[in-house]
Amino acid sequence: MIKIRINNIEMEAAAGETILSLARRAGISIPTLCHMDGVEHYTSCMVCMVRDNATNSYLPSCTALVSEGMDIDTSGEELVSIRKKAVELLLSEHRAECEAPCRVVCPAGYNIPLMNRLLASGEYDKASELVMSELDSRELRCLSCRGYCENACRRKKIDRQLSIRNIRIFIYQNLNLQEKQDQSAGVQEQPAELQDQSAGVQEQPAELQDQSAGLQEQPAELQDQSAGLPGNTGLKRTFSSRTGRIGEDELKEWLKECKGAEKRFENITDFHSAGEEAKNCMHCDCRASEDCRLRDLAQELGIRDRGRKVINAPLTKKINHRTGLIFEHAKCIKCGLCVRVCKDKKEEPGLCFINRGFESLISEPLTAEFDDILTTQADLCISVCPTGALSYFTGHNKTR
Amino acid sequence: MHIRKLNTTTGNTENNTCNCQPGDTDKIISLVEEVVALEGRGKDRVIPILQGVQKRLSYLPSEALRHICRISDITPGQISEVSTFYSQFHHLPTGKHIIKICSGTACHVKGSQLISDSFRRVLNFGEGRNSSPDNLFSVEEVACLGCCTLAPVVQIDDKTYGHVKPTLTENILRDFLSSGQEIIQPDDKMDLADPDAEIRIGLGSCCIAGGSRNILSRLMEVTESFDLRIKIKPVGCVGVCNQTPLLEIVAGNGEHARYTNVTQDQVEEIVLRHIVPGSLAKRIRYRINDLADTFLSDYLLKSPVNIPGEEREKYLNNFTRKQVRLATMHCGILSPDSIDEYMMLGGFDALKKTIQSGDPQQITDIIIKSGLRGRGGAGFPAGEKWRIAANEPGQPKYVVCNGDEGDPGAFMDRMLLESFPCRIIEGMLIAAYATGASKGIFYIRAEYPLAVERIRNALKYCHEKGFLGKNILGSDFSFSAEIFEGAGAFVCGEETALITSLEGRRGTPHLRPPFPVVRGYMKRPTLVNNVETLAVVPWIINNGAEAFRRTGTGKSRGTKVFALAGKTARGGLIEVPMGITIREIIGDIGEGVADGRKFKAVQIGGPSGGCIPASMADTPVDYEELNRMGAMMGSGGLVVLDDTDCMVDVAKYFLSFTHRQSCGKCTFCRVGTKQMLDIITRLSEGQADIKEIDELEKLSFYVKNGSLCGLGKTAPNPVITGLKYFREEYEAHASGVCPAKKCRGLISYVITDKCTGCTKCFQECPVNAIGFRPYEKHEINQELCTKCDNCRIVCPENAVEIIGTND
Repeated sequence: MIKIRINNIEMEAAAGETILSLARRAGISIPTLCHMDGVEHYTSCMVCMVRDNATNSYLPSCTALVSEGMDIDTSGEELVSIRKKAVELLLSEHRAECEAPCRVVCPAGYNIPLMNRLLASGEYDKASELVMSELDSRELRCLSCRGYCENACRRKKIDRQLSIRNIRIFIYQNLNLQEKQDQSAGVQEQPAELQDQSAGVQEQPAELQDQSAGLQEQPAELQDQSAGLPGNTGLKRTFSSRTGRIGEDELKEWLKECKGAEKRFENITDFHSAGEEAKNCMHCDCRASEDCRLRDLAQELGIRDRGRKVINAPLTKKINHRTGLIFEHAKCIKCGLCVRVCKDKKEEPGLCFINRGFESLISEPLTAEFDDILTTQADLCISVCPTGALSYFTGHNKTR
Repeated sequence: MHIRKLNTTTGNTENNTCNCQPGDTDKIISLVEEVVALEGRGKDRVIPILQGVQKRLSYLPSEALRHICRISDITPGQISEVSTFYSQFHHLPTGKHIIKICSGTACHVKGSQLISDSFRRVLNFGEGRNSSPDNLFSVEEVACLGCCTLAPVVQIDDKTYGHVKPTLTENILRDFLSSGQEIIQPDDKMDLADPDAEIRIGLGSCCIAGGSRNILSRLMEVTESFDLRIKIKPVGCVGVCNQTPLLEIVAGNGEHARYTNVTQDQVEEIVLRHIVPGSLAKRIRYRINDLADTFLSDYLLKSPVNIPGEEREKYLNNFTRKQVRLATMHCGILSPDSIDEYMMLGGFDALKKTIQSGDPQQITDIIIKSGLRGRGGAGFPAGEKWRIAANEPGQPKYVVCNGDEGDPGAFMDRMLLESFPCRIIEGMLIAAYATGASKGIFYIRAEYPLAVERIRNALKYCHEKGFLGKNILGSDFSFSAEIFEGAGAFVCGEETALITSLEGRRGTPHLRPPFPVVRGYMKRPTLVNNVETLAVVPWIINNGAEAFRRTGTGKSRGTKVFALAGKTARGGLIEVPMGITIREIIGDIGEGVADGRKFKAVQIGGPSGGCIPASMADTPVDYEELNRMGAMMGSGGLVVLDDTDCMVDVAKYFLSFTHRQSCGKCTFCRVGTKQMLDIITRLSEGQADIKEIDELEKLSFYVKNGSLCGLGKTAPNPVITGLKYFREEYEAHASGVCPAKKCRGLISYVITDKCTGCTKCFQECPVNAIGFRPYEKHEINQELCTKCDNCRIVCPENAVEIIGTND
């Protein structure tokens, strides 16, 4: 047995145990991004850094093995500053917005992009459920709102903003209609899952100011207004990553997800028109906004993204039309988990690293098309992605 | 056929149609099959396979990659990861000839960027193109060609040109296109039993770049036409690289003479001065010619044969006086391709002694006692490493000779491999015997073709003589060795990355422990030693640990080989005792700074090292002292800087090197070095705020502590030492002034009143920034000027001056 101190606790460990596993046994939590139990070590993100006071050195705890006489500290000031810097550096090449502009400016914080995705994929019931779950005292705030969401919509730069307000109003009115019918039929039960969600949404009022400050291209006047508006209940996280300046070509890249959308509807009269209009949404939000480990960590460390990206990773989207897997390069932190968990086979190529150093990126192999990769392993690789770089159309960590 | 172009900036792939003819696909397929049959189909063979295919096709078409996957165990992901990681591999067709522009430290300080610009301009490369419109030439900037004393250096295919100037690019291209590619080697006829004299000519890479192949061919012509009975003997690097080509004559009567900087037309004269032609008729012809020459020209008076030997060789003697030759013993005498000669001079005695001792433990103890430390940079005690490897149970064990010398400004591994291949093999054999290893691998950069060839030949000779193979020298010790060519990734010099690369993967380092010596190549114990470490092993075994300890100081024992280059008057490959001061190296061996400039600093240890200012030149050179100074022994590059060198520019150069060579695994090294480079680039353009210098300092701390391997941990060293010793220069840049007048963004070229109106600058200006005004003072249009330096080079009156824009 090896004797070791960790945060002044004397512990014993077997040879071959990592410092991370020892810390967990001692009830000490250390953040990680590129590490996953049971998967080969890669040691890239460096947020799991700890300090060995015995040798005055810093060690990545996910890979560093215990050795006799170590005196590990997991929370020193300098150490936290290194961790913080690691996350800041990752964010400096992470061009993504945790929340879409429409949602950020929405006084009620409605999850507009998700609603659009549900409508666009024909899941009208789920879209209705979502809209209903977000209702504040059973009143739709859109009715009295001037439609900041549409003003902020990026689609405006291409042709015309999405008719978000009309879509919501249609769904709301349709819901009311249904409810009346349901009431007469005597059914009043709300799905339990939905109740939980709506409870969660209202838990913590967001600091809207911080959020909207993240949007550069938004008129200042609008920012002030939205900041002044009370009662944004939808956004519970204070940290939001930013994209920096968006090039015109990059906007076009986002149109890739507007699948089969030719018709535009300003007046929404039925679910068909709502769905067609929703297909024009460019999905400039992040589908992992609720379960992004990078965002969690940035928030925990009190980091603010000032939007000055050192690395202008292009905002590209790659879509696998067979499995629906979407890869957004600019959100990738190159932890390589997707590469490591998926088996690279001749008949089913996986994702791989391309290039070296600062130019390295995750990509399909040079010998295959994106459509041909990961035919059976897409679920697995999405589930391990710590950010929203890999997702399905409807969301992150969700099967189609 | 389609090839897919990998666009690194967007991560997109585009389809490009190439001009391939139908039927090319069949050709590619049969060629790939040939290569795979030759190299094997295992996953670990991916790098040799790719090298083989590229050698035959000059690039890697995606059809070839696909077919390799089809017929071998290599998977699509693996081949994509590997072929894009190493800089050697191209995915797009390149020009027929590749112009490799060395961007090593010495070449950088002597203006390699200007050379690169000049080639692109002369060959009419358009924006965004990397080949000339006729697809004849491509330009590629390579890490270091290891010919630092001839800087700046350019290699076109296998032909190397030294001392290149931006104004000479057209001549070089013309010369390349008109010259044949044949390689002259002395034939067996020259191997006479009892020659009148022996002529030694250096054939190291530097010497060849200096033109020694031309001298050799002239030498053979002269020998033939005068029917001389002489033995022409190619020897390895002599170390006096700046004086190449070098000719040494040992006449039958014991007369001994050396000539430096020999030109083709001097050969005949030099040879005939020492050797009398055989036949009477030829003797008469020679005499008559000689007499005629004396009357007709005054050339002979100035020719080197008329300079007394003492005078002629003074410099050579100064150069060698302070050196101690252990690793480079018999330098300039030993013929690298002759194992017999090596044995005659005591070669393989150490191996015999080792095997006769019958006690591996005893051999390890000698190395431990000698205090030998790893010469690769970090200085880990070599004997300790051997002991750990020896104590690891199980077989097979491996010994790897690390010849992946990628440091810009360093070329000692190349020179040792080229000049003393047998000695390094002997060192490896001794290490293998002591640790119980049965297999050896020479990991050598593909940029060193001559080194690869010489080791390959030497391995063959060793097999023939029974030093390699089963039951070596009749004992039960068996050992075999092979060569693995590195594919161009600096990070593979790090031992864990080297091993992953040997296994056919991307050369990314991993955290130690486990150390390779415990769990390395193929998960087996693997001893990785640097070339120089192995090269001194035979000497230690022959002369004992005590003898080795007598040289050197403190914890640093023995000698160290350095590549002395940059602004020194005399550069070259030197081996000096540890503890010698920087002043002695530069002042005595290098004869001070060239062109009467002022000695400013010396850069030691390449991208991992730092700049030591002139004021600290009395620092003894050993591991501890250099670390204390913030520099590092590194692999031994020593680049001298003078007062025209800008410290911000030097730091920027090294940072951009490490940034480019980072494997991209750790956050700090991948993104952190990029942020540092951004700041320092803006600083060199006068765009950065003084506060950003502090930010640079902070980032240095983070990158140093937050990186996994040696590359990242030492990458900030050039900046850290720069800020420590030359902070005022950084601060000057923040206010828009480059004190050394080097940073292009902060200087402009002007013509002073010294101008006589000779119009030379007008003729040389590539962008028409200078108007044609004969006999009048010329002027440079600042809007058009690209600061290519041509006008300053050609001006006979030194009327072109560089001034600071914000002075």
